[in-house]
Amino acid sequence: MADETRSAFEESEDTRQAQIERATNAVLVAAALALVGGTLVGLVSPSYLVFLVSLAAMYGLLSLGLNVQWGYAGLINFSVAAFFGLGAYVPVLLSASGSPITDAVPPIVGLFAAVVVTVLLALAIGIPTLSLREDYLAIASLGLAEVVRLVFRNQENWTGGTSGVGGIPLFFEGVPVLGTLPRDIGTVDLGIYTLGFQFWNGLLNALIVGSFVLVSYLVLRRVHRSPWGRVLRTIRSDEDLAEALGKNAYAFRMQAFVLGSVVTMLAGVYYAYSNYFLTPGIFDPIYTFYAWIAVILGGSGSNRGALFGGVVIVAIIEGTRAFGLSASWRLFAVGLLIILVMRFRPQGVLPPRDELIWPGARGGGTDE
Amino acid sequence: MSDPVLRTENLRKSFGGLTATDDVTMEVERGTITGMIGPNGAGKSTFFNLVSGFYQPDGGSVVVNETETTGMEPHEVTEHGLVRTFQTPRKLEGMTVREAMLVGPQNQLGESFLPVFTQPGTVAEEERRNLERAEELLERFEIDHLAGQPATDISGGQLKLVELARAMLAEPDLLLLDEPVAGVNPTLANKLADIIEELHDDGITFLIIEHDMGFIMDLADPIVVLNQGAVLMEGSAEQVRSDDRVVEAYLGGGSDV
Repeated sequence: MADETRSAFEESEDTRQAQIERATNAVLVAAALALVGGTLVGLVSPSYLVFLVSLAAMYGLLSLGLNVQWGYAGLINFSVAAFFGLGAYVPVLLSASGSPITDAVPPIVGLFAAVVVTVLLALAIGIPTLSLREDYLAIASLGLAEVVRLVFRNQENWTGGTSGVGGIPLFFEGVPVLGTLPRDIGTVDLGIYTLGFQFWNGLLNALIVGSFVLVSYLVLRRVHRSPWGRVLRTIRSDEDLAEALGKNAYAFRMQAFVLGSVVTMLAGVYYAYSNYFLTPGIFDPIYTFYAWIAVILGGSGSNRGALFGGVVIVAIIEGTRAFGLSASWRLFAVGLLIILVMRFRPQGVLPPRDELIWPGARGGGTDE
Repeated sequence: MSDPVLRTENLRKSFGGLTATDDVTMEVERGTITGMIGPNGAGKSTFFNLVSGFYQPDGGSVVVNETETTGMEPHEVTEHGLVRTFQTPRKLEGMTVREAMLVGPQNQLGESFLPVFTQPGTVAEEERRNLERAEELLERFEIDHLAGQPATDISGGQLKLVELARAMLAEPDLLLLDEPVAGVNPTLANKLADIIEELHDDGITFLIIEHDMGFIMDLADPIVVLNQGAVLMEGSAEQVRSDDRVVEAYLGGGSDV
């Protein structure tokens, strides 16, 4: 009897989830159609459209990275902005003509340097904090992120300080074909629009950040369904139990922290090479909170939820701008959204579909 | 007493001014079901936490399977063959019973990051084997119908069975059970006793804390009685029952001054 009521309840819960997913898809498709339609009739410039897509991908990377830490492993990490900034600064300080250090390193090599520095910083932040209880981790990671921000602001001889770094080259500078492609294509006249260097370069940057997202998503989806991901979810739920079953909780948390930080860092790389000029504003804690909002909104532990959250963040930021609303309205909208989600849908819009078992181990297998 | 799977010597732990465990020296002989009883506050749970690595002792030593494990982390103790369960069953949020079972097996290749990408075939093979063993155990414990249920939705008694089944997947030499039948109805308690007997026949050694005297007296031999942080006596159910000091400890309540 009790079983029957429960399964009936679950069924209604499932249909509700299906309804929400359908509604979410409908809204996304409608928004995409509106933007493409706007472009066709001359309201939205193609460069802006490409920029919007890239920005959504960038926020998607921030939230995908945080989702590994919070959604998989339960780490309350408030140092997202530190790794976002690092991903921007490390390659730029090695490749930009305005860099106080050097401009001799090609940006692509700088990307790998950023990976190394990110892993080192993640270890430096992780070693003292990951053995702390979760609330202490929150405050310690926030503090360490502020330390990183202040170092980049004040250490002028290394970072250019508050005046920033200019002369950032294109990401593919020095690479045959790709390095000069945006210039080589030249201008294409479409009547209402002329597609020039700016558009082609934006498109190339969109492809770069798009491929970052694609690779990250595929990697994270696989580890989420693996026994590795299962251990992280066990630790999130009950660390003592994980330890009693022979899992080294500290080591697993460290792996999740480093992996998430590397994904977060990739967002910074895109940011730097699409902006020509970089200031320490990229270390502002607001980026940390945007990432948190995206993950909570999308559904903690869900990769597609994290991507969806990134899209919503862009919709809020650029939407308030399009309607001429001030930044305080933007923060208001974000706050209101969080309250509404927490009140009416605490598990997020697109929570993970339930059973996560290595797909090869049984017939079929779920997608997320 | 020739082949102990667990041996402690002068194990001591205090919290501030309160000495919870004071000089506990005991052995769990391989192949036994050893019971551990004692009034509230006798130091049984502290003792479990000390031998499983959750507390660090102030003094004394713990030896599991001939290896000194004093001061090791819980997961390291588990690697040496000692697995424990908890007094209040732990729930794994967002997992089905089947998934929660799969956390049990030790040294899974797929729990390392790189092999998930470099050896997906081996990981799948291993996962399939673990899944089969998990389902066998669920069947043996007669809870296979729960496999697809959320692990947070099943009853306390069912959760105890799942915990026991999952602990078996870790293939322990010694299983520490902390009050396995607390809050469990008599039918299920009998079933648990049968299962423990069965696993014991398969070669698992048990150390069980239990307040249900009927349950532990029927099941365990020998029984260790703790009182005020120290071993009061050790013997068969018969000896324990007829020992005046045990009755005194339970009724006199020397510790709750």
